[in-house]
Amino acid sequence: MTRKMRDFTRGELQWIPWITPVDLDAATAEQLTALKVTPSNRSVGAYSLVLAHDPEALSQRSPLYNGIMFGSKGLPRADRELGAVAASRINGCAYCASVHAKRFTELSKAPEVMQRIQQDGVEAALDPRRKAIVDYSAKLTRDPAAITAADAAPLRAHGLSDLEILDLTHAVAMFAWANRLMQTLGAPAEPAPEGNPL
Amino acid sequence: MSDGNPDVMDTLAGLPDGSAIAELRRQRPDVVRHLQGSDDAIFAPAHHGGFTRPEREAAALRVATLLRDGALEEHYQRRLVALGETNPLTGAHGESILAHIDCVTMTPDSARQADLDRLSAAGLTPHAIVSLSQLIAYVNFQSRVLAGLRMLRDAS
Repeated sequence: MTRKMRDFTRGELQWIPWITPVDLDAATAEQLTALKVTPSNRSVGAYSLVLAHDPEALSQRSPLYNGIMFGSKGLPRADRELGAVAASRINGCAYCASVHAKRFTELSKAPEVMQRIQQDGVEAALDPRRKAIVDYSAKLTRDPAAITAADAAPLRAHGLSDLEILDLTHAVAMFAWANRLMQTLGAPAEPAPEGNPL
Repeated sequence: MSDGNPDVMDTLAGLPDGSAIAELRRQRPDVVRHLQGSDDAIFAPAHHGGFTRPEREAAALRVATLLRDGALEEHYQRRLVALGETNPLTGAHGESILAHIDCVTMTPDSARQADLDRLSAAGLTPHAIVSLSQLIAYVNFQSRVLAGLRMLRDAS
């Protein structure tokens, strides 16, 4: 896939819901809890307000996401973002790919990696360790049934521990989830053009 | 919420209590807790919002079939049968749900407003539409976590 990534990282996410979001003023206590809305924090976007129609699922998914992407030790956070970018590109979520490419670059200080992925997609030539991470992420995203024990070998050859491989698996899987919600309950809209678009 | 040990993922991945990969998972206690919590919230919610338990199991079975995950198919087939149901997704209502499962699982970037309009027209409330979307996305997540766990199990 050679989809060109657009830069969605400037400004707020403009996400257009395809069903009516929960009205914050009419929300139930359970919905407010799932949204973590308090009297001093009522800044909730349309995406979260759509998910709040099912507060039970939302209240589990948010801490699951945080545990997977921000949990301490294990796989460096930049590498979790790299897995998220690979998954998002294959799943066609340009918005997700753009946001997580930016996070990767902030964490890794290696801007050339995302420049290459932006140009050549998940087939981009990268250093061997990152190439192994992207290859596994791409295969797991495209066809989980095709994964075998042999797919662990390239990751281990580049020094990933079993905990790090588990962390990468969780991150890639989380974006099989996130990319689907983001693209099928509404659509990310491109923010208004600014002076210097990428 | 179940705090069972082994939990659903251990069982599906064939990880006996105390095995190396089951213990590896426990190094991420928040992930273990909220993954099982998500499973509980998605399949056995206190309020189903019009998307019933048998419909949920049948929808998950469809996702597992599309992903060619045999163990996951058996899991949802067994839970569906345990409810005394075989095929709750029939008629215009069921057909609209099945079509949406195929779209969200196989080509999520092809979804359009019209897809949700079709679900609404078939009688799904906003709650049911979000629950269906969460379920499809969750089983896609679940199958990928399982693939990684089986890989680590078989490679140790």
